[in-house]
Amino acid sequence: MLITVEPEESAQARPPRALYPKGFIAGHSLGRPGDEALQKWIILDALALLTAGPRPGEVIARDYA
Amino acid sequence: MEKPLELSRYCVPFTPFKKRLEDALLCLVSTAGVRKKDDRPFVLEGDTSFRTIGGETVAEDLAVDDTHYDHGCIDKDVNCVFPIDRLRSLAREQRIAGLTEQHFAMGFSQNLKEVRDTTVPQIARAVAGARPDAVLLTGG
Repeated sequence: MLITVEPEESAQARPPRALYPKGFIAGHSLGRPGDEALQKWIILDALALLTAGPRPGEVIARDYA
Repeated sequence: MEKPLELSRYCVPFTPFKKRLEDALLCLVSTAGVRKKDDRPFVLEGDTSFRTIGGETVAEDLAVDDTHYDHGCIDKDVNCVFPIDRLRSLAREQRIAGLTEQHFAMGFSQNLKEVRDTTVPQIARAVAGARPDAVLLTGG
């Protein structure tokens, strides 16, 4: 699974499973420093792509506001 | 070295996942320039090598060599780009089975041909050797 903050660029690489935390930027791919709950939330959403219906090539955007 | 098989530009390399997450070993791979503090630094201007990071490594023991993205988060918490502590925590919670013994990271490079022809196949072989059930890939 890919966690990306560059969804358009990543889509060109045809990732089998990819998650884009909306609004996050490079250096902050999994959110705020020390925010274990948020970081694990994002990881679990990425892991969920393994067991979800296949959407190969799509970059799934999610809000974490 | 045998040239890797080229995929069609319209092909998505998808492998079905047939396990439960609770039984899965995860391998972390990053392009964020992460390495152990006692390992050789990445060359900031461009580096096509990669580093191996032991599965018992904690985020505090990691350094990041990259000047192409903001370090406001990673200077305080490398988990922002290389969430090894968080994955270990998920394993303790039995959300995943655990981590592989090795993880991998590469740095910044604009030598895309060498990255594609040499670095990526090397990392792919190393990841295969770690025998993960799934790989989590992060950038900066």
